[in-house]
Amino acid sequence: METFELFTLAFMQRAILGALLLSILLGLFGIFIVPRRLGFMADGISHASLLGIAFGLLIGVYPLIFAMLLAGIFGILLARVKDYGRLTQDGLVGIFLAGGMSGAIIMMSFVPGYKPELFSYLFGDILSIRWIEILGLALYSVIVLMLFQRQWRSLIITTVHSDLSHVIGLPATATRYFLFIGTSLTLIAGVKLLGIILVSALLIIPVLSANQIGHSFRSTLVFTQIIGVSASFFGIILSYIFDIPTGPSIALLLVITFSIISLTYILKKGARDS
Amino acid sequence: MSTRIKMDKSESSNIVECQNLTLVFGTHEILSNASCSIPRNSLTFLVGENGAGKTSLVRSILGLIPLTTGNIFIHSFEGRQPIMGYVPQSVEFPRQFQMTVSEYLNYSASVRKDSVESVLQKVDFPGSHMNSRITELSGGEVQKLLLAAELHRRPDILFLDEPLSNVDDSSEKHIIDVILEIKNSGVSIVIITHDWQTVSQYADHVICLNKNFLCETTESCICRNSLSKVEIRNIQKATPDPNTRHEGYCYIENV
Repeated sequence: METFELFTLAFMQRAILGALLLSILLGLFGIFIVPRRLGFMADGISHASLLGIAFGLLIGVYPLIFAMLLAGIFGILLARVKDYGRLTQDGLVGIFLAGGMSGAIIMMSFVPGYKPELFSYLFGDILSIRWIEILGLALYSVIVLMLFQRQWRSLIITTVHSDLSHVIGLPATATRYFLFIGTSLTLIAGVKLLGIILVSALLIIPVLSANQIGHSFRSTLVFTQIIGVSASFFGIILSYIFDIPTGPSIALLLVITFSIISLTYILKKGARDS
Repeated sequence: MSTRIKMDKSESSNIVECQNLTLVFGTHEILSNASCSIPRNSLTFLVGENGAGKTSLVRSILGLIPLTTGNIFIHSFEGRQPIMGYVPQSVEFPRQFQMTVSEYLNYSASVRKDSVESVLQKVDFPGSHMNSRITELSGGEVQKLLLAAELHRRPDILFLDEPLSNVDDSSEKHIIDVILEIKNSGVSIVIITHDWQTVSQYADHVICLNKNFLCETTESCICRNSLSKVEIRNIQKATPDPNTRHEGYCYIENV
């Protein structure tokens, strides 16, 4: 089959469309989550939400509904932690992770027989993505992008100088809730494509890579999107051509991109310093 | 007792009045039943020892930290809620967030690209650094940048937390001139400082927060549960006197 023919396959169209939407959203959330040193949050939330998936599988109802519900609750709790001080956000993520994973594993032990669906959620499975899910993701993306547009200045100021956001009357609290709940829900939206184990890669790695080549906020944002979207697109193509799992294919491309950028940066810096 | 910040429509001679403020963090009492006021169109200095509660007092007026008890009245300015400005002593910009000086001014104070250089010039910030990353600036440059942004927002009352602590001597004079200039244009300014020389040279009013302060006479010192302004002309260093030694907080008036 010619390479371009793969674009005529419905499941590939769904996968590419889904991956592009997810990489755009996660790149936008990532640029505000990474500076808050909450990269670990992505792993914690996605792993903890396995509890929701396990519950859905156990009772035979669409599992991502429960995973999203759980992720939304985690997002609210994370946003509230700042209000009550004594517990740190990364500490809370650690608790979610331990609780969610343990609960999920115990719950899955009650599901009899082989559990292929569980593995598709753990590592991603583009074949299982349906048009209705892509439509839902597109609607969700439109809403999130509109919220980004409304919160844009507040997101930037709360990240760079949070006191100022209060002084100049920006909706800092609403912004924090949007950031944490939105990130949590978007991570779960990406579970079918990348899997619980690798979805955090799209949130963190494009931003970390772009940070090394971007000089301004604007250029970092553009590089983040280029890296995320390119890795998702080519990751899916490579996974099809070489018949390898999609999630690891995208995540590995992101890691390779990050390594090349880092190495170039280090070499250039070394040359400049010498 | 109610605990809140209230916007007051009356045009009082003071732009801010604090009544019986108590601030407690955990088991640590930062302020104890303190009252003070900030007059309009004045340069008010807030002085006191380390840990006396200067920054906490300012942050509570700005609504950044909740009061334990007490009231803060913020009086209207020209019939509207006054615009507050705040330059903290230091800000640690997150290293994983790339932003240029120019972008910071744009997002924080809506400075247009063609105005960036003139806005920076006002605080003696080198215009050649307008495209530098904010994470690469020195402490003094960060203070100047924050001040430039706040000045551009044209606040009615501006709080500056040790604005000269990181700047060099030549910039210090420049910044003081800028502060005096905006004060003369009608802005009320509150500066936290340890520098008594600057206080005695420029202050219209002084609010002193001290712990274990040694007072010269009982008339010139009101201890515990009081905090007030003093006329700069009357400021003297209090002379230690074992007979009037006070424990705990001591806010001085007419020293």
